[in-house]
Amino acid sequence: MIPGGSAGVDSLAARILIDLIPKATDAYTMADLGMLAGLVRMVGQDFDRAAEVLTSDLEGTRAIFREAEPHIVDDNLKRRMAEVVASRPESLAIPVLNAHADIAMRVLIDLQATVENAADAGADWAAALDRRIWAFLDEYVAKRAYDSAF
Amino acid sequence: MTVRDDELKAGLGRFLSARWKATTTVEAVSRIPGGASRETWKCVAAVGDERRGVIVRIDPETSLIDTDRATEYRAIEAAWKSGLPAPEPLFLEHELEWIGRPFSITTEITGCQSSPDGIPLDHREALGRRKWRLLGQIARLEPLALGLGDVMPATSVETCAMEQLDYWAKVIADDEIHPNPVAEAAIRWLRRHPPPPAQKLSLVHGDYRTGNFLYTPDGDIKAILDWEMAHIGDPLEDLAWSLDPLWCWSEPERAGRLLPHGEAIALWEEGSGLRADATALRWWQVFASVKGIGIWISSSEDFQNGAAKAPILALAGWLMTDRQQRILVDYLSPNSGHKFYEVAA
Repeated sequence: MIPGGSAGVDSLAARILIDLIPKATDAYTMADLGMLAGLVRMVGQDFDRAAEVLTSDLEGTRAIFREAEPHIVDDNLKRRMAEVVASRPESLAIPVLNAHADIAMRVLIDLQATVENAADAGADWAAALDRRIWAFLDEYVAKRAYDSAF
Repeated sequence: MTVRDDELKAGLGRFLSARWKATTTVEAVSRIPGGASRETWKCVAAVGDERRGVIVRIDPETSLIDTDRATEYRAIEAAWKSGLPAPEPLFLEHELEWIGRPFSITTEITGCQSSPDGIPLDHREALGRRKWRLLGQIARLEPLALGLGDVMPATSVETCAMEQLDYWAKVIADDEIHPNPVAEAAIRWLRRHPPPPAQKLSLVHGDYRTGNFLYTPDGDIKAILDWEMAHIGDPLEDLAWSLDPLWCWSEPERAGRLLPHGEAIALWEEGSGLRADATALRWWQVFASVKGIGIWISSSEDFQNGAAKAPILALAGWLMTDRQQRILVDYLSPNSGHKFYEVAA
C-alpha cells in the first residue's frame, strides 16, 4: 500500500512539476507533463475518498427508496428499489462498490423521472421527494469535487 | 501514437510540392499543445527562397469529439470568405497516401497566442468587447447562402434545439462509463421546458470560448479557431456556450474571464441584431452544460477504451465532468445558492 495515501501520491505530482517539467524540451511535452501532474493529484484525492463516496451513495439512495416506496405504483420500479435496499456489497473493493452504485443510480434516475411526472400531476408527496432527491444530488456532486489548480 | 516528425516532414513536402507545383521542403515541425479533437502541428514550408508558415490539422486515431474534417474546413472557409478573422484555408486532404491520415492545412497566423492565462489584465475588456461583437457577426451569417448546406445537417427554427438535445443525450447514453443522475435530470428539465423557436438559423461555431481564438498582446482577435463542432442552429447556442461558468471558473463574475456577463450579452445583441430572450437563453445555458458533459464523458470513454491515452482526454473527462455537474446543480437544484451567472428568466 502507498504510505500516507494521497500525500504519497502528491509527492509524485510534485516530482513531475518541480523536476521533470523544467527538463522538457518542447511545449507539447511540457503541457502533457503539467496535465499528468494535475491528474496524479486527482488520483490522490480519489485514493483517499473513493470507498466513502460510493458507500455514502448507496446509503443515500437506500434511504430515498425507503421513503419513496409507499408512493410508487410501478411494480418494476418498486422491485428494483427493494433490491437496492436489500443489497450489500460483497466487499469494499472499489470495482464492487462501483457496480452496486451504478445499479442504485440507474434506479434513482428512473425514480426521479417518475416523481417529476407525479409532481406535474399535482401529487403533494412528489414535490417534497423531488427536493429530497435534489439534496442527494447536491451532495453527490459536492463529495466528488476535485481540488485542482487547472 | 502520433505522426512522427520525419514522416510528417517528408509526406507534407511531397503533398505541398504536388499542390503548389513547386519543389517544397518542410523544414521544421512542432506539435501545438492543447488540441484534443485533432493533432495540430506548426510547420515551416520552404518554396525556393520563400518560407511559409502553415498549420496542419491531422485526424487522430481517437479524439475528444468525433467530427467530420470537411465540416470544420468548410466552416473555416465560410468564416474567412465572410471577412471574419479566421486562418486562410489552403487544403483539405482525405487521402491517406501522404502522411497516413487525412488532414487539412491553413496559413499560420504569427505573433499571437490563445491561452486564457496569457491575456494581459489591461486588455481583457477590449478583448471581451471584440470577442462578443465577433460572435454577434457569426450569428449574422447565413449558412445556406454560404453553401454549408451540403456538409451540415438541415434543421429548422422550431426543431434545432431539440435536435441538439437529442444528439448530446445520445452521446451521453452511448459513452457513459457510469450512470449520470445529474445530467439525466438536466436532460429531463430541458425536455420539459422547451425554448421558443430560434429567431433565425445561423452558422453556430459550436465551441466559441476564450482559448479558441488567437489574440495579440494589445487585445485584438486575429483568428477564431476550432470550428470542428460547427453546425446550423440557433445563434443563442453559441452565446450560452461562451457564457458557461466552466470558462471563467476562477472568476465566475467575468464571462470568459473577460467581461461582466450582462455586458457580453449586450455586445452580442449589438453585433447580431438579435435579442437574447431570457427564457431561451436560460434553456441554452442549461443545454451548454449538458453538451459539455457529453463532450467530457466521451473523452473519458476514449481515454479508458480507446487506443490513445493522451492526458488531455483524462483531464477533460475527470475534472470537467466534475465541474460541469457542479454548474448544473447550481442551475437546477431547488437548494442552490446560485453561485454562477444565470440570465433572469
